[in-house]
Amino acid sequence: MDRRSFLRNSAVAGAALAAPSLISSRSRAADILKLGCLFSSSGTMANIEGRLNSVVQMAAAELNAKGGVLGKQVEVMVTDPASDWPLYAQMGRQLLLQDQCSALFGCWTSVSRKSVLPVVEQNNGLLYYPLHFEGEENSKNVVYLNSPPASSVLPALEYLMSPDGGEAKRFFMLGSDYVWPRTINKICKGYWESKGFDESSWREHYVPFGFSNFQTLVNEIRQFASEPGGQPIIVLTVVGSSIPDFFKEIINQGIGATDIPVLGLDVLEADLEGLDTAPMVGHLNCWAYLQNAEAPANDAFKDNWKSFVEKGNLPYSPDTVIDPMVSAYDGVHLWAKAVEKAGMADPDAVRAASAGLSFDCPSGYSIKMTDENNYVSRGVFIGSVNDQQAFDILWQSEDTPKPVPFSPYA
Amino acid sequence: MRDLVSLALRPLTQPGGLARFWRGLGAVTMLIVASANPVLAQAPVQKRVLGELCAKGVSNQVKGITNLLASVDAGQVDPSWGVEIFQALGDRALICGGDTPLIVSEDTVRLATTLEPTKRSPEKKQGAFVNLRLRSQLDMGVAILRLLSEPGGPTSAADLEQLRKRAEIAPVALIERAVAMPGNEAVAEGLRDILAVAALEDPDPAQRISAIKRLAEAPSARNLTLLLNLRDGLSDAEDGAIKGELSSGINKIRFWLEVGEVSATIYSGLSYASILFMAALGLAVIFGLMGVINLAQGELIMIGAYVTFLVQEALKVVAPGLLEYYLLLAIPFAFVVTAGVGVTMEVTVIRHLYRRPLMTLLATWAISLFLINATRVVFGTQNLEFVVPGFLSGGVHLFADFIVTWNRLFAICFALVVLGGALFVLRYTKLGMFIRAVTENRDMAGCVGVSVRRVDMVAFGIGSGLAGLAGLALSPIYTVNPGMGASFIVDAFMIVVLGGVGSLIGTAAAALGIGMINVIIEPLYGAVAAKVIVLLMIIVFIQFRPEGLIAIKGRR
Repeated sequence: MDRRSFLRNSAVAGAALAAPSLISSRSRAADILKLGCLFSSSGTMANIEGRLNSVVQMAAAELNAKGGVLGKQVEVMVTDPASDWPLYAQMGRQLLLQDQCSALFGCWTSVSRKSVLPVVEQNNGLLYYPLHFEGEENSKNVVYLNSPPASSVLPALEYLMSPDGGEAKRFFMLGSDYVWPRTINKICKGYWESKGFDESSWREHYVPFGFSNFQTLVNEIRQFASEPGGQPIIVLTVVGSSIPDFFKEIINQGIGATDIPVLGLDVLEADLEGLDTAPMVGHLNCWAYLQNAEAPANDAFKDNWKSFVEKGNLPYSPDTVIDPMVSAYDGVHLWAKAVEKAGMADPDAVRAASAGLSFDCPSGYSIKMTDENNYVSRGVFIGSVNDQQAFDILWQSEDTPKPVPFSPYA
Repeated sequence: MRDLVSLALRPLTQPGGLARFWRGLGAVTMLIVASANPVLAQAPVQKRVLGELCAKGVSNQVKGITNLLASVDAGQVDPSWGVEIFQALGDRALICGGDTPLIVSEDTVRLATTLEPTKRSPEKKQGAFVNLRLRSQLDMGVAILRLLSEPGGPTSAADLEQLRKRAEIAPVALIERAVAMPGNEAVAEGLRDILAVAALEDPDPAQRISAIKRLAEAPSARNLTLLLNLRDGLSDAEDGAIKGELSSGINKIRFWLEVGEVSATIYSGLSYASILFMAALGLAVIFGLMGVINLAQGELIMIGAYVTFLVQEALKVVAPGLLEYYLLLAIPFAFVVTAGVGVTMEVTVIRHLYRRPLMTLLATWAISLFLINATRVVFGTQNLEFVVPGFLSGGVHLFADFIVTWNRLFAICFALVVLGGALFVLRYTKLGMFIRAVTENRDMAGCVGVSVRRVDMVAFGIGSGLAGLAGLALSPIYTVNPGMGASFIVDAFMIVVLGGVGSLIGTAAAALGIGMINVIIEPLYGAVAAKVIVLLMIIVFIQFRPEGLIAIKGRR
């Protein structure tokens, strides 16, 4: 055999060997549906955001146990954008174009969502976003699973300004420096103006991501609180590891909830892990789900999570569940229902099929996708920190108010 | 020991001792019955108050609190009973509903009216939710009743602080009684300050003037607000003496507030500097003295914090009595374990890359990722829970709103001690001499017989151990999780480069400078701008003085 015929023969043989594997990989791709996850498991958001990867996997496992979606198995592709906002866009593009994911689940901070937004819009993807956020956005390529301010922040503020909430009259806004805190604070200021307050009754401060040295700021808060004008509160929009550091500092400086209540808009059960919450009792938060929600669906969800963590030996607390986890879980199920209804996983078909879908959320409410946009009607909870590193339910809404994407106060 | 036993048995063994013993017991029983009796007789008052506290609606409950305090004032109920009830309500342990309210704790159920144990089972596991309005009333109520029921007790200072915060709603009559009680001498002055708040509205001008004087003696922003409000409310017809006293009082408070503000800024600066310094110290040895760019420095800090956590957990099992001192007991462990990790890194990886700094950078970065993820796998991502020892929780109010928080004071002192220790080792020990020799001229030191490899290894170990100590010192202030190290690495390099590579004193000076500048800028332009301005200042500084604050002569 001369050299040329050897090359030709081996090329033919190689092609023959490769062909079945090509065919089989294509046929394999036909009977699975891929979901992409964009949640950081490193960087400043790691502690809380990382859990969402696992909860999406848990929901997918539930779907697969029931025979999958449209008879196809659901596979979850996990990435780690490392709390680096531009990396979310890059990995999102990769998930959509290279891995051919049917839908993306991802982002915690609004800045990461804004970074992925052009990617999903260009490639006509679908991003399920599980955090409550500042609103002021209505993309056909994003499903906003959680509440805009009108059905989360404003009811909580209203409570704090009522006699039972201590008749708050002065407001110290402290946030991380990015779009969510700034927009939320803008809406808050508009809201207070509509209630007859003026600029002298609030103060606004921003800190960089991952900021931890709150001593000077807490000094200023104490000063602000002792000035005349009525009961002060803190509207806290710092995120990630800054949250526990802030609480440590106010505890050490002797500030309790009865002195200056903190409305922690991004404070979750998971942020209280590692803190002695006895001196924090009474501080507030507001979400569309709290771990202590009383509903059979919630007990089932908590049990599922516990066994999922223990079985997979995951590095997360088995006894802590948080709103964004539940929202992401709801999202996977809403997506599955829409795909079943549409009969295919094409984003346009899924979006059309989504209108009006409802799902029994672990919060105890039957949540519903609206007809006119990609928002979801959720229940409203106001929580109050208790001494067991969790939140007592202080107030919850009768039903699920209709989400208002654009605030009149912004 | 035998002496003790015989002492205890003396009443029984002495002639006639048994009779005296029984008589004594009888007297004690009588006393108990006598003190219980009035409570039983006045049960209707308790019942009425409890009814109000159990009522729906916060306004009704607030009325119940006021009425309970009033009946204490009238001598109808015992203050200690009120303390129990208020605390139970606040802890959600008071279960209403059923025919009589119950107080539940982990293993006992008591009747709320008499506080006697009962066999009844409560209808619910938890009492009603307590909102902020009710909670502040309860805090106030507990504080004043505790001062009345156990004058001079261990909680009296905290109770005084509570009442100070809620001077406007505290009942004057009860405070007056607490002032008069023997045992409360230590807090009497503070209580009189609270009474002065009420006396500001007194019709008698003399009373008002003395109240103003008293408030001015205890300068705080709160008192300033009170006096300013009073001044704004004064009519022109008011007594000139009051106005004069008021304006001099306001000026006095303003002066002290400014002094307090300056002190607070200096203290914040010191505390921030101590944190920066601790984070940078290990790197000052490793990068400064040895020239190794160690990107895993932050993770060594994290390991120090995790070792501290493990020591705490071990103490919980082995010697719970020593748990209070775990931070001090963990010092050798944090140092040795982290130093061990550092030495391992040096021997296995870094040693082979001393002449290739770029590769060291990549290799140490890989090590840092490895350490973070290994920790995540072993411990999980959640923040670790540290017991806050009594001597580190809270702070002391020095004057005029200036609070010294113990955890930060601990960090400052710890940083000073570690700086002293490190300087001592480098300057006055043989090892220190070798390290300095290798720093100044590696090849020459080798020529005169210094074992350069061993010195490298030990110096790397010391640098890592110091990072471990930083982790220990930071654990009461910052959150501890696998990713915590990343936030320190940039600051640490910044400090070391600014301070002058190779100089510990320079590192300390740079930390102090950056800490101070930061806290001065922060209130003026915000934390984000502070960071930008500080970085700009460093860039400009390095342009003109690339060797840093304190330059060490040496050949590299």
